[in-house]
Amino acid sequence: MGRIEVVARWVVDGFLTGLHRSPRKGFSVEFAEHRPYQPGDDLRYVDWRIAARADRWVVKQFEEETNLRALLVLDVSPSMVWRGTPTRLTKLAYAERLTAALALLLLRQRDAVGLVCFDERVRNALVPRARMTQWSRLVGVLERMREDEGAGARRSVAGDALLHAARLIRRPGLVVLVSDLLTDVDPVDRALRAIRAAGHDVVALHILDPAERDLTVTGDALFVDPESGDEVPAAVADVRDAYRVTVAEALAEWRTTFARAGGRYEIVMTDAPFGAPLRRAFAARQDTGH
Amino acid sequence: MGFLSPLLLALGLGAAVPLLIHLMRRRTGLRVDFPAVRYLARAEQEHSRRLKLRNLLLMLLRVLAVVCIAIAAAKPVSRALGAVVAAGHAPAAVAIVLDNSLSTSVIVGGQPVLDRLKAVAQEVTARAASGDRLWLVTADGRTQGGTPAALSAAIGAVEPLGGAGILPRAVANAASLARSSAVSDPVVAVVTDGQAAAWPGVTDVGGVRLVVYAPDLPAPANRAVTAVTPRPARWTPHGEIAATVGEHTGLVVGDSLSYRVTLGARTLARGTATVDASGTGAISVRAAPPERGWVAGTVELEPDELRGDDVRYFALWIGEPPVVVADTPVGAFLRSAVEALVANGRASAGPVRPPARSVAVVTADRLTDLPALITAPTDPVRLGAANRALERAGVPWRLGAPARGAAAVEGLTSADPGMAAAESASSSGPVTAVLRYPLQPQSTAIADTLARIGTAPWVVAGPGYVIIASPIDPTVTTWPLRAAFVPWVGDVLDQRLAGLSGSLGGRGTGVIDVAPGATLRRPSGAEELEAPDGSSRVLSGTTLEAPARPGVYFLRRAGARVGALVVNPEPSESDLTRIPGQSLAGHFKARAVRVEADQGRWVTAVFDAHADRPLAAFFIIVALALLVAESLVTRRRSGAAGAAAAAGVRRAA
Repeated sequence: MGRIEVVARWVVDGFLTGLHRSPRKGFSVEFAEHRPYQPGDDLRYVDWRIAARADRWVVKQFEEETNLRALLVLDVSPSMVWRGTPTRLTKLAYAERLTAALALLLLRQRDAVGLVCFDERVRNALVPRARMTQWSRLVGVLERMREDEGAGARRSVAGDALLHAARLIRRPGLVVLVSDLLTDVDPVDRALRAIRAAGHDVVALHILDPAERDLTVTGDALFVDPESGDEVPAAVADVRDAYRVTVAEALAEWRTTFARAGGRYEIVMTDAPFGAPLRRAFAARQDTGH
Repeated sequence: MGFLSPLLLALGLGAAVPLLIHLMRRRTGLRVDFPAVRYLARAEQEHSRRLKLRNLLLMLLRVLAVVCIAIAAAKPVSRALGAVVAAGHAPAAVAIVLDNSLSTSVIVGGQPVLDRLKAVAQEVTARAASGDRLWLVTADGRTQGGTPAALSAAIGAVEPLGGAGILPRAVANAASLARSSAVSDPVVAVVTDGQAAAWPGVTDVGGVRLVVYAPDLPAPANRAVTAVTPRPARWTPHGEIAATVGEHTGLVVGDSLSYRVTLGARTLARGTATVDASGTGAISVRAAPPERGWVAGTVELEPDELRGDDVRYFALWIGEPPVVVADTPVGAFLRSAVEALVANGRASAGPVRPPARSVAVVTADRLTDLPALITAPTDPVRLGAANRALERAGVPWRLGAPARGAAAVEGLTSADPGMAAAESASSSGPVTAVLRYPLQPQSTAIADTLARIGTAPWVVAGPGYVIIASPIDPTVTTWPLRAAFVPWVGDVLDQRLAGLSGSLGGRGTGVIDVAPGATLRRPSGAEELEAPDGSSRVLSGTTLEAPARPGVYFLRRAGARVGALVVNPEPSESDLTRIPGQSLAGHFKARAVRVEADQGRWVTAVFDAHADRPLAAFFIIVALALLVAESLVTRRRSGAAGAAAAAGVRRAA
């Protein structure tokens, strides 16, 4: 079991278990199976007869509750392979763990989970499956992607990846974009509108290193974009304030873009615990009843 | 605006440093991988105008700060700008020459002139700044440099001299001091009473600026004892005190000046002297005082506004007439002269009272002991015996082979001015000698030449001896036929050979007249100098500086007085006539000369060229203000200094 699995299980077991509930529950749904009760499960679905007979708590799973199709869209472009300080994970490493944890969470709730990794094109794609073996496959894909990370300079094309992901879900489902969003807004905006038109929900987890937000680098330097190779000379002290304003404006633009498209948007700092952003993102989804 | 250290303006080249940094800041070699370059580029693009202005402002602030520091280091001075932003004046080098000669002690308006001059000089120290270089030079040449406070104290302590000093020399010294400074416009500030006698001729002080303060004060009437002469210098024991008193201003012919003559601790005489048309009066006091040995005396007038010249000192030696023994071979004329002197009381025939010794008048070949008046032998055959006798007696002279032929003798005069005048008025012509034995000095010969033939000595006087190079015989020389012969012999016996235990060794009269503070050759045989208060100091070296206070200072050897140093002010110092201001300017040759009688204008003139005020402090303040402004503009940068945590950023070389 790799590090991704360990961390993902720890995150799910420790913080997220029971958080997710299917938004499509109802009296007309068809019973599928029982599963052990987990703290946080709605008590309405506890099978009391089994509890009385066998002295163990199980909850009833309905077919409709497990038919959520979620596709995790992970940005593996070179810009993700960066960290502001050696004591932190790179954005990609953080995103991998987050993705794995999210997949585990969904799979444990009988949701079908797929994965799309992309940079300048879609590098890998897993069709959504609800079986637990899907998680191992997903983690395997992530491990392989890690071995290939940072190879060559490639732009990330999140819009194309989102559209590709949407095509992998036949029914309305959930598309989770995990990216640093160092890409143009318009293609993403267009893709969002298309996805929403197809009935899919969209959640964006914007991965940010604190050094990217605050520009904590000092001195004068030639800043080089690892993806495009663009070079910008700058005196950090001179430009820091303006940079922070610009970043704030960019984040606000992304938030507006996703909100306008009906999606959710969460900023995930790589120095924050894994559970916190997920809790925020999916608690909000649950509250809104989508 | 000028600069006192213009070379330091080169520091202004340092202004190129922030300029170069500004121009080269974008050429840094440090490469940093940074994914969010798009945000950075957008920030620069959106804020580029503000950033450029800010960077330009920073560059200007830094360049101006460096330029201001460079200007401050170059010590800028400016009259116009200085009047607005600075105080004081540019660093100055001022050498103050304070005239403290005797004439400045005169009372005018109830106050000594010197006090007025000191107050004026104090004004310079009061106006001086800590960066100024100041010196004080007094009329006697004494020099002191230091801070304004030290110079002020020194000026306050200045006392009037007992004499004139040498003001031109003091001014020249002051000019040298002022020139020695690095200041561009050295100044010699002279404070004087403008006494005409103090500024003889033209004093060249070179390339300095001379500013003279000479107050427009009236010269008060001044009466002075201008000369005192004991005649002869050594009394046996008869003599005369001849003095001259003068009235330099306010002269009224027929004025009577009361005087008093003292000798030792007693009054020798009192009287009045009448001023004649030349403004002088003569005093003559004859006496045969009972005092013996070296005695000091004074001639005094009643006090007037200038007290320092109302008394004049003299010294003389008083003793018994010498016991003289004339040997027969010296000839009838010398024997007759001695007899006449004995009859007149100027010499004695004996007996001798120790420690005095009799004076022998002998031919050289019969010399046995000193003291002696020695003549050459009549017979050339006795030449060898004469030289052997001279050697035995310790006389460092020898007689050479006889030289014949008439030759004129020069220098034979009597100490008695009346007799000398009578001699010079006679029509008998010069004294001649047809036979002489050239006097040959030995290595140790130290003597005075009393008469000579051509360049060769004919009569020499040394310790205990006087040698005449010819026999005193009318067939050899006309000298014994002259009226001045007997007085001359008397002078020789009294002044050269009598009382040897109380003389400097037979040379001169033993009395040295000097001005206060004068430097003279130390008299041989003098070991100590006895002050009027009885204290004494040991003399050393080859020169002797006369005391500054007038009086009689006895020269001592082995505890006994052997001579006297008589210190009196120069007679010219009593003439208080002043030089008009513009005429005084003509007594100096300098780069610029300005004479002022007004204290305020004079002080202003001293610092006039330095009215350019120093601006270094102003420019330092401006530089600090610029640096503060620069730090305010860059304070965010300073605040972010601790953000070195970005060391983990991957950097491309």
